[in-house]
Amino acid sequence: MLRRTAVLLLGVLALSVPRAGVWAQGEKKEGPPPRPAPAFKVGDTAPDFTMIDQNRQKVQLSSFKGKKNVALAFVVFAFTGG
Amino acid sequence: MKAFQENLQKLEASDTQVLGVSMDSPFSNAAWAKEMGSTFPILSDWGGDITKQYGIYNPGYKAAYRTTFLIDKDGKIVEIKMDSEAIDPTAIVASCERRKLKT
Repeated sequence: MLRRTAVLLLGVLALSVPRAGVWAQGEKKEGPPPRPAPAFKVGDTAPDFTMIDQNRQKVQLSSFKGKKNVALAFVVFAFTGG
Repeated sequence: MKAFQENLQKLEASDTQVLGVSMDSPFSNAAWAKEMGSTFPILSDWGGDITKQYGIYNPGYKAAYRTTFLIDKDGKIVEIKMDSEAIDPTAIVASCERRKLKT
């Protein structure tokens, strides 16, 4: 009886130790995820879009083609600095 | 974006159109543009489709990463600036002025 309990205990330990390892790894991965690279790199063609501006006018990227460079500035939220 | 407004004359002089993009509604953007005194378009990417397509969507904030793409007259991306570099338009202005000289 005592021996069976000892074997059982060992078995439980053996099972729980590797799991503790997995948990520890899981905890390490938390925190902010790394920022992904943009979908495009220098030299790529910018995909066309049409969006509505603050005066509810449609603005299409391709309408500037052959005429102007476009500085396309994505912001995090309106009313924030930067 | 105030920095872009302050540099707008230089950018326009080098044939560059500034377009801001935020995932806010056009109504929020109108109020924000008024507060900043910005005269360039601020586009509404409501739902974030364009932000996601450009690969700069931050799911943690449900908003874009602060990123500036400079697109040349041929429609090619010639500069990509992120975070503090995206806020400060100095490099973008310099790049536009160089391009103006070349043409």
